[in-house]
Amino acid sequence: MALDRRIIFVLIFAATALPLLFPVNLPITPSPRVRAAFETVDKQPPGTYVLMSLDYEPDIKAELQPMSIAVLRHCFRKGLKPVVLTLYPAAPGLVERALAIASAAEGKKRNEDFVFLGYKSGSQSVILGLGESIRTMFPTDFWGTPLNKIPMMKGKNSYADFPLVINLSGSAIADYYIRIAATRYQRPMVLGATAVMATDYYPYLSSGQILGLIGGMKGAAEYEKLMDITGDARRGMDAQSLIHVTIAILVLLGNFALFASGGLRPMGSGGSREGTGR
Amino acid sequence: MRNGPLLVTFAVGASLVAIFFIPHHKVQEAQSVLLDWANVVYAFALILGSLSLWASHQRKVFARAEGWIYSLVTLLALAFVTVAGTVQGVEEGTLVNKYYNMVNSPLASTMFALLAFFIASAAFRAFRARNAEATLLLGTAIVMMIGRVSVGEYLWHGFPPVTEWLLDVPNLAAKRAIALGIGLGAISTALKIILGIDRSYLGRS
Amino acid sequence: MSEALNTSWFDPGRVNLLVGLAVFVVFLVINISRARGGSEMFIRPLAGLKAVDEAIGRATEMGRPVLYLPGLGDMSEVGTLASIAILSRVARRTAEMGCDLDVPGYDPVASTIMDGAARQAYIEAGRGDAYRPGTVHYISAQQFAYVAAVTGIMLRDRPAANIYMGSFYAESLFLAETGNQTGAIQIAGCDQVTQLPFFVCACDYTLLGEELFAAGAFLGREPVQLATIAAQDWAKALAAAMVVVSLLASVLGHPELGQLLKTR
Repeated sequence: MALDRRIIFVLIFAATALPLLFPVNLPITPSPRVRAAFETVDKQPPGTYVLMSLDYEPDIKAELQPMSIAVLRHCFRKGLKPVVLTLYPAAPGLVERALAIASAAEGKKRNEDFVFLGYKSGSQSVILGLGESIRTMFPTDFWGTPLNKIPMMKGKNSYADFPLVINLSGSAIADYYIRIAATRYQRPMVLGATAVMATDYYPYLSSGQILGLIGGMKGAAEYEKLMDITGDARRGMDAQSLIHVTIAILVLLGNFALFASGGLRPMGSGGSREGTGR
Repeated sequence: MRNGPLLVTFAVGASLVAIFFIPHHKVQEAQSVLLDWANVVYAFALILGSLSLWASHQRKVFARAEGWIYSLVTLLALAFVTVAGTVQGVEEGTLVNKYYNMVNSPLASTMFALLAFFIASAAFRAFRARNAEATLLLGTAIVMMIGRVSVGEYLWHGFPPVTEWLLDVPNLAAKRAIALGIGLGAISTALKIILGIDRSYLGRS
Repeated sequence: MSEALNTSWFDPGRVNLLVGLAVFVVFLVINISRARGGSEMFIRPLAGLKAVDEAIGRATEMGRPVLYLPGLGDMSEVGTLASIAILSRVARRTAEMGCDLDVPGYDPVASTIMDGAARQAYIEAGRGDAYRPGTVHYISAQQFAYVAAVTGIMLRDRPAANIYMGSFYAESLFLAETGNQTGAIQIAGCDQVTQLPFFVCACDYTLLGEELFAAGAFLGREPVQLATIAAQDWAKALAAAMVVVSLLASVLGHPELGQLLKTR
């Protein structure tokens, strides 16, 4: 069954747009992994310092920005003190926005309830450097205020001062944090990743190197559900649901048409193309 | 002289392997220095790359080759970002920063969003039950697509545990096996480069 | 925690890794000796690599270029190094067959090195004069800017064959699906496990996992290179055996062996 690609594209467009315009609010049940992440943050006593590395760019904002906002709001609600940084050059604008939204929603103030250190290039060397001295890596915060002049940062200078590390990342930066912060410096760690990459980190969850894993927009929606807030992730899940159903229906229709037209024939051994399933 | 690059590769490669096993603070500092050097080399290579980009598009513009207008746009954008970035910097409020936030970032997000359409057309074409393996792939894909979103839970409460099992057991097993192979292949390739067995990166067989 | 300055010269938590590396080097030495001694190294046929010749031949007949994409890694990534080795072989074939080659580069350093490797391959094929400056050209170090440029090349130039070898990320499906639209024969090899399903769906042939790293040796058929694949296979067999043995030991109440395989 040959179907013009453009028809498929129109159907996908409709499946994306309609639920956003007419929300259905399908149920969401938090998975054990997201629940573990939530509980790890939830059990921290008020006043606990949390090091948060938010490493994503505009292209994966749809998955990770709602996650950041939900986790930040959780930290604020519990009275935790997030110290936030980023290792992606295009991320500061997004992180600043996430902090603005979360702090406004929970009534928190910059430099009293949270600090944003900004961006630093180097990835691995920065993550290593945070174990020695945060001030060497980030002499000032994002807005240029020296860390020594920020009361919240008094006495806080390395991983030892942070009982929890949270990394929300769309790249291999998560591997560095696991290797350095969680394994070498033995920091309890919660990880958030895109849906495609999340499955790569299941082994770390089962080995206990990370204590919770939030995967993709679904994970963010589950976290929002646990927080009892409605953010972009929960709103987006309706659209994602309909898109998946649309693709499933198209695939099944394609197969029915192929079957009905007698196009399905058993392949002999050494068939034409290996390893593609086509 | 011909063996100079090979010796440098061996010396640096072997040193970095050794540094992995030596936790002495001086040795770890040396690793940081090497990482910084790599960043410096990369910065200079960016200049080289930009010059190559300029040369290739300039050729097209001068020759009025097909699509030369797009090459002209590329050259103008390259010139603008270079000049504006050098004069004003790239901090918040500068022209380059505004350009990045208002043009570059939305374009990147748009391109990424196009993937949803491509996944649909690829799935429609690829998931055909032509043989046993393809049928298994098709069935698993349908279960995963429905089970991983809210509608799956709505249709049948058993979908999420089934999809979690598929991810936790067969998917993870296959991924670990492939990752093991990739890891060993990476070690083999790295050793070939360090020991000078593979010299293709020097432009030699 | 600011660690007290570490003054030890060996990390005992990594001794198992050192032993593993030493064993791998021993396997390498044994197999290279075997290769130099004239032993034949059998490599099972890989459909994707056998198809490279077919793809280049098709491109030559159609008078269309071969598009080679080396991935989005930089020179610190092993996938890029493997890609350069494969590019040398592919460039040699295109030189011998008189076919155009187009290599859009993502990383400026890698692009420079690939230019040298491709040029050298043309010289070794006796077609140094046929090497066109600009065959390897740097596009952009921004993921989707690179993708936009490459998909534009695919749709305008309509290459007859697209070869993807290296480290690809979220753009893999984008590239492969666009290539599929143009009717090109597509061969892919990627070291990112998460991207393999997309290539399998959209490409004609896909090299899975370590087949990417074996590809350069397979295409060149040099005995010493093939010997390194044999060493790799021996190491894999040993790793598989250790996994099975430690699993059995765990089941029988002796998890210590599994603990030996853990590392910091």
